[in-house]
Amino acid sequence: MTDVPFPALSQKDPNAEGVLATWFVADGQTVRADELLAEVQVDKVAVEVPAPVGGVVHLLVGEDEAVTQGRPIARID
Amino acid sequence: MTVTQEPVVPAPRGTHRLTTAKAIAEAVALEMERDPSVFYLGEDVGAYGGIFGATGGLLERFGPERVVDTPISETAFLGLAVGAAVEGMRPIAELMFADFVGVCLDQVYNHMAKIHFESGGNVTVPMVLTTATGGGYSDAAQHSQCLWGLFAHLPGMKVVVPSSPYDAKGLMTAAIRDDNPVVYMFHKGVMGLPWMAKNPRATGDVPEGAYEVPIGTARVAREGSDVSVVTVSLSVHHALDVAEKLADEGISAEVLDLRSLVPLDREAILESVGKTGRLVVVDEDYRSFGMTGEVVATVTDVDPGMLRVPVQRVAVPDVPIPYAHALEYAVLPRHDRIEAAVRRAVGA
Repeated sequence: MTDVPFPALSQKDPNAEGVLATWFVADGQTVRADELLAEVQVDKVAVEVPAPVGGVVHLLVGEDEAVTQGRPIARID
Repeated sequence: MTVTQEPVVPAPRGTHRLTTAKAIAEAVALEMERDPSVFYLGEDVGAYGGIFGATGGLLERFGPERVVDTPISETAFLGLAVGAAVEGMRPIAELMFADFVGVCLDQVYNHMAKIHFESGGNVTVPMVLTTATGGGYSDAAQHSQCLWGLFAHLPGMKVVVPSSPYDAKGLMTAAIRDDNPVVYMFHKGVMGLPWMAKNPRATGDVPEGAYEVPIGTARVAREGSDVSVVTVSLSVHHALDVAEKLADEGISAEVLDLRSLVPLDREAILESVGKTGRLVVVDEDYRSFGMTGEVVATVTDVDPGMLRVPVQRVAVPDVPIPYAHALEYAVLPRHDRIEAAVRRAVGA
């Protein structure tokens, strides 16, 4: 089981918040390592989140939801 | 934990889900891998990945000799692209906003577009001029224009206007492989950018390998029998939303996505209007001397009797795009104006 955290986007502010902009995979889908899972955004900076490992992905937050950096957004079994 | 996301169907085998911006970058990357003569140049296309994301990841893969950040000097780098194309390269030059074409128009319409003609067909200019268009996000009069009618009016260039991730990738592939200069105009609102208004139609399933969508063929985005809504780009998304809504009232609207203005798929327009007898043309470009008039003339040149009711044109009235949100929305062809036009056409 591997957690996929919201990427670190700010060194200044450990509690920096961003938004889960787009999921490219469905809940329960089998993904490959490095497959594009999501795009997240802080202000106008967009960052891609690839799968750290292969497996079945479980989405933990919805699109347009605000997330603190480092918090898990998905789990891969 | 609760997931509030709408259920997403997993992408079919051999495809993956991408935004339009990522689909364009993927098309460019596959062609750069296949053909060493393809290279990309423009402002902020390297380390920054393009301000609208169309070149994300390319610099890391192909290096600074093939992904070239240029100075803010459109005449110079478009001229460079024309010269490279004449010498056998296949450059993709990005003009950051279509609105900026004024500073380099001579390179575009007098050189890129005319060299093939002036050389008696002996010299080709196989380049892509790619550029961002469109408004809806308060970027005001100098950063919100579509202007595809301007490029389409000037002879010698193909003009491609994709609306979906699938078409964006396939049309970019076709544009790069085309021996003619192709102007590839992407509306910022179809790119799926996180910082623009959320648009679910800007994300879709795209085949993983390279494929072409032939330039000059329209696509029936939604079949219908009462009225033809003929349009391009972001307005396709709005028209589909309206068609879905009106279907509940028993109004069957066909939505035709032209996908390119040059060549214009006149057969597809005639086929659709021949079936419905009612025509609504939606264009985010200016109304006069533009796409809406050309689409109407396509029908009336052949047989005005095909039209059972007067045509409805929904376009930007001939004013600069306002900055103020309410004023901007008042001039753009958004859902309210499209819906009203469709209702007028069907007499509902």
